Amino acid sequence: MARYSVLRPRAAQTWGGPWDELRREMEAVLDRYGAPLPTAPRGVFPAVNLYESEDAYILTAELPGVEPDDIDVSIEGTTVTLRGERRIEFADEQASLHRRERQAGVFRRSFELPVAIEADKAEAVHRNGVLILRLPKTP
Amino acid sequence: MNDPTTGTTSTSAARQSGDGALEAREKQEVVQEGTRPGLVFRPDIDIVERKDGYVIYADLPGVDEESVDVRLEKGVLTLDAQLATLPEPGWQPLHAEYRLGSYHREFRVSDEIDASGVTAKMRNGVLELHLPRSAEQQPRSIPVQTG
Repeated sequence: MARYSVLRPRAAQTWGGPWDELRREMEAVLDRYGAPLPTAPRGVFPAVNLYESEDAYILTAELPGVEPDDIDVSIEGTTVTLRGERRIEFADEQASLHRRERQAGVFRRSFELPVAIEADKAEAVHRNGVLILRLPKTP
Repeated sequence: MNDPTTGTTSTSAARQSGDGALEAREKQEVVQEGTRPGLVFRPDIDIVERKDGYVIYADLPGVDEESVDVRLEKGVLTLDAQLATLPEPGWQPLHAEYRLGSYHREFRVSDEIDASGVTAKMRNGVLELHLPRSAEQQPRSIPVQTG
């Protein structure tokens, strides 16, 4: 089971089917035990949004500060894999850190698409720290 | 399950490989009374102190140099940013793990900052703010002379 099911985007009313059921079940369980919901739910990095247009699926991921060269996108059949590393380096060794909220590390995440796509025509752009992966449907 | 974004177990492999594995965190909403429509998030930041001043790094995915606004007024540094990279109108959302909105965060800065010397630049969705110390606040070494 995908771990990111613990992410509960409140604005995401677009979930349907099994996701909606799962969410309701989780909420029911939490209600029963009176467990407070975590303030910052964690899931698999990076969080992604998926869209569908007439001719393609579009997958977006927020990857601020990740150099395009440090992102690897591979497509094998209907499996799309995002892989990479987020590095945070401070040039000055004399520097002292007052606050550290940003995270660094490696990531790897795979997605199974329901239908075949045209892997040869897939395009990835990294703009303003957002990865936009366009996966054209087979005509 | 036929959900298009079903994750595989590959992520646990990355997690086991060391402390370096990342976890996604839900963006924190700014709690404020406001009249602005839409969601406002509090960006994650790092603050680094260097000899010559402070550097603030803020994660602002989707923001470009045109859509970020930084102001220093009465000792408060205010950061406001709008999204420049947005989903296209024809995209139907199928699945959402993160939400979209603007960003806001405020910092109280000490008097030692030279307000006129503050510089900012955006790169890959990260804002880098340099807050230099004013000249008289720069650390000096005072030579001790023999009497």
